[in-house]
Amino acid sequence: MNVLVFIKQVADTEARIIVSSDQRTLEIENKYTVNFFDEFAVEEAIRIKEALKDVQVTVCTYAPARAMEALKTTIAMGADRAFLIDSTNYEPDDPFVVSSVLAGFADKDGFDIILCGRQAMDDENANVGAMIAEFLGIPHVSLLTKLDVIDGGRVRVRSETEGGQKVSEIALPALFTTQKGLNEPRVPLITGVMKAMKIQIPVLDPASIGIPIGPIDCGSSKITILSYELPARRPSVHIIEGASPEEKVKNLVKSLKEDAKVL
Amino acid sequence: MTRDIFVLVECRDSVVRKASLELLSKGRQIAGKFSSNLYAVLLGSGVKEVADTLNEFADKTIFIESEELKDYGWDTYGSALEQILKKYDPLIVLGTSSMTGRDLFPRVAGRLRAAMISDAVGMDFHEESVKIKKPLFGGKVISWLAPKAGSMAFITFRPNSFAVEKADTNGEVIEENVTVEKDRRMKTTSLEKSGSKKVDLQEADFIICGGRGMKGPEHFASLEEIAGLMGGRVGASRTVVDSKWREYDDQIGKSGKTVSPKLYIGCGISGALHHIMGMDTSKVIVAINKDPNAPIFQYADYGIVEDLFPVLPALKDELKKAREES
Repeated sequence: MNVLVFIKQVADTEARIIVSSDQRTLEIENKYTVNFFDEFAVEEAIRIKEALKDVQVTVCTYAPARAMEALKTTIAMGADRAFLIDSTNYEPDDPFVVSSVLAGFADKDGFDIILCGRQAMDDENANVGAMIAEFLGIPHVSLLTKLDVIDGGRVRVRSETEGGQKVSEIALPALFTTQKGLNEPRVPLITGVMKAMKIQIPVLDPASIGIPIGPIDCGSSKITILSYELPARRPSVHIIEGASPEEKVKNLVKSLKEDAKVL
Repeated sequence: MTRDIFVLVECRDSVVRKASLELLSKGRQIAGKFSSNLYAVLLGSGVKEVADTLNEFADKTIFIESEELKDYGWDTYGSALEQILKKYDPLIVLGTSSMTGRDLFPRVAGRLRAAMISDAVGMDFHEESVKIKKPLFGGKVISWLAPKAGSMAFITFRPNSFAVEKADTNGEVIEENVTVEKDRRMKTTSLEKSGSKKVDLQEADFIICGGRGMKGPEHFASLEEIAGLMGGRVGASRTVVDSKWREYDDQIGKSGKTVSPKLYIGCGISGALHHIMGMDTSKVIVAINKDPNAPIFQYADYGIVEDLFPVLPALKDELKKAREES
C-alpha cells in the first residue's frame, strides 16, 4: 500500500514578519517548521505502516528549497521517501495551482491513501486537501479523529462534522485531512535523525510532472495580491480599579455597557 | 458571466445561521454597487419554509429540496451547487468559513476552475470588482486580495465579519430541481450530533474563556452559567484542553478555532501567542488575571487584576443585572 503525505513548511508562530515599505512583499524571519496539522498526517501514515505489511510512506511538498528541512524532519519521524517539488519560478501560493501540482505528483507516483493537515498555519486556507481530491477524482473526508484500514481497499474513519462526529467507510483511493486528536505525533529517535542526515531528497521540476489542470507559471494565479499591512493595534489596556473584586466587576460592567457598548 | 452575487446559506436545526445572514447583508451591498442581483442558495430537506424567510434579504432565493440533502456531504451538496452555478453563472459566490464551507467550497471551486479565497474577514470595492481582507500568520499581517477578472470567485468569510441588516425587499423564491449525485465510494455508518452546545463557538457573540488559572475542570461550571446567561459559549486555552479539562471542540487558538465575538472575557489566561492568534479579532477583549504582568493585558481593552474566584460570582450577578436592564 502506498501512503502519500503532503506537507507544508510554515513560518514558526514566533517568527518576526516585516511588511516592506511599498506594502508589496513580506520579509519573514528564517524560522520555519512543519505545519502543525501536517505532523498528524505524517504520524498517521507511519502508524499505518507499523500496523500493516508492505506500506510505503512518501512525503512531498511544493515549496522553495528551504523546505528540505521540513522533509528531513518527516524522514526522521519514519517516512520512507520524500520529494521536494521546487516552486521557485512558479506560482507558489494560489491553492488552485498548489493543488494542481500536488495532484499531478500523486497521479504520477501512485497512491492508495493521501493524508494532509486540515489547514496551513500561515494562511489558514484549508483548500489544498479537498482540491487535490477533486482534481484526482477521488473522495475525501476532512477533519479526521480516527482512521482504521479495514482491508486493502477500504478504511473506516471518524471525523468531526458541524456540531458532531461521523463515522464513515471509504473505498480507496481517497484523501483525508488530519487534525489534533487523531494521534500524538512522535519525536524522532536519534536513528531517524541519522537517517535523515544521510538521505538525498530528490528535487523535482514541476514541469517534469504531468500537471492535469491549467498553467502553473508565475502570473497564472487566479488571485492578485494587492497589498499587505499590519493590523490596527488596540489602544493600551484600561485596568479597572476598585476597592474589592465586586466593585471592580461593577465598574467593568459599567464600562462595557456605557463606553464599549457591548452589553 | 453575469455580475450576480450568490450566497450559500447554511442552516443549523432548520434555522438560518447568523453568519449566512451577515453574508446576505454584505452581498446586498455588492449587488447594489454592481447593479446586479443577490441570490440566496439553500440546499436541504424540508427547507421550503426557511427559503420563504430569505426573501427579506435576497432578490432571489433558490432552494433545492431533496432527501439526499438532509445531511451535508460534499458529494451531494457539491453536485447540487455545481449545477446551480453552471446554470446561473454568477460573478461571486460567498460562503462561511465553517466546517461545511471549508469542506465544500474548495471542492466545487476546483471543479469549476474558480478563484478561491478563504477565511476572509472584510471586503471593499476595487476597480470593477471587490477586494478581500484576509489575515495571515495568525493575524500578524493583513493581506488584501482581488480575484482576477475572467473567473468566478468563491470567497469564504469568518463568522462575525459583518453586521446583519435586512433589506427592504420582497424577493422571489424559486425552487430548482436537479439530480443530486451521491458518491457511492463513501458510506456514512453513524452520525452523532452533540446536542448540548447550542451556539457555535465561531458564531458566538459572547465568549468566556478559561485558562490554566481556572485550576480544574470543576470550576468551568461557573463559566458555563455566565455563557448560558449571555447566550454565548465557553472557550478554553490549549493547556486546558491538553489537560483534558475541556474538549478540543472548545479550544481557541492557532491549533484550535479562531473566533471574533463582540465580547471576549479571558479568565486565568496568561495570553500565549498561540491563544492570542485565535481571539485577537474580537471586538472587545476583557482579561481577568491575578498577575498584572500576564501578556494577555497587552492585547486586552479592559483588565481586572484580581484572583478569579471572587470575581466570577460577582461577574455573573452584574452581567445578569445588565442583561435584565437592557
